[in-house]
Amino acid sequence: MPKVVIQRDGQSHEGEVAENANLVVMAGIKRFPFPHLRYGCGMGKCAKCACRVLKGAEHLPPPNWKEQERLGPKLEEGYRLICQLWINNDIELFQDTNPIKPLLAPAAPARSGAVD
Amino acid sequence: MSGLMDKVEFRAALENAIKGKSANKAPFSIAWASGKLSRAHLARWAENHYHYVGPFADYLGYIYARMPERYTEAKDFLLANMYEEEIGGDRHTDLLIRFAEACGTTRARVTDPDNMSATTRGLQSWCYSVAMREDPIVAVAALVVGLESQVPSIYRRQTPTLREKYKFTDSEVEFFDLHIVSDEIHGERGYQIVLEHADTVDLQQRCLKICEIGAQMRLLYTTALYWDYVAKELPMSELESVERKVPTEERQLLQA
Repeated sequence: MPKVVIQRDGQSHEGEVAENANLVVMAGIKRFPFPHLRYGCGMGKCAKCACRVLKGAEHLPPPNWKEQERLGPKLEEGYRLICQLWINNDIELFQDTNPIKPLLAPAAPARSGAVD
Repeated sequence: MSGLMDKVEFRAALENAIKGKSANKAPFSIAWASGKLSRAHLARWAENHYHYVGPFADYLGYIYARMPERYTEAKDFLLANMYEEEIGGDRHTDLLIRFAEACGTTRARVTDPDNMSATTRGLQSWCYSVAMREDPIVAVAALVVGLESQVPSIYRRQTPTLREKYKFTDSEVEFFDLHIVSDEIHGERGYQIVLEHADTVDLQQRCLKICEIGAQMRLLYTTALYWDYVAKELPMSELESVERKVPTEERQLLQA
């Protein structure tokens, strides 16, 4: 089972998830990494779930069109949209205290964040 | 009648009930998965699908109002689900309309209720009826577990088909993409509510029965799409030749 480490607000949270797990889905159903992962729309628009990948980036697929559209140059800094990723290997993530702003805003008002 | 099932047994029984007995024979699904539909056929699907899934927040609103106050988590889930359908990001129906427009139809045609078939009107009415009249836990079983939870596995398989066989762009098929994540959360939370609160033999059996009925309603809806819009140009004989080549899971498209 992939080991997931999430760093946020100066704390490190560690747990295991099933293979091919989506961390936003897991947080949404209140399993690890709930309540440590902030997320919003769950559809690659609001970027509230964005994290910098500290370890394990080499196992991830290339950024999809939504990540390219929303993150742009942030991709070079190692950011990914966690709602767009299905995890099959160990990974370590860093989530900023304040969510980054997406390059392109969602059409409807963004959710304030289920687990802010 | 069976005794009270534990959560593991009940979940397995629900999953079995949802599968339905013959959903994988829906001709519209086979035609879709094999790449034989035209964009005009897909436009008719979108014009109907809008009236089935478009009022989803309305269905949930009726359940929310009747859910007992003591089931706070269940009520909060329904509220979150409604929010996410409508204003959590892009409005889900707007993405369906974007797909419809890529198929050659218009927003006006999609939103016009005169463009849905009588069968689609029947499915929509069944959803409203369940939301308004059934025990709220049974209604969650029907609409969230029975219908919504099925979407991710179906669309996960079908989104590549839309891109590769039908040559839609990423943006055009975003409606299918987003459901992979959001409906997975919604479906799983729906299971949690039903497993927690269907705590009598009677309630469990009613949940199972309504999931079976939901599977029948989905099959009715999809089969009607074929006969109403596709059969003249794509007869069953032509579909039978491709049926064996289509993986079972892919035949289930539109069953949710």
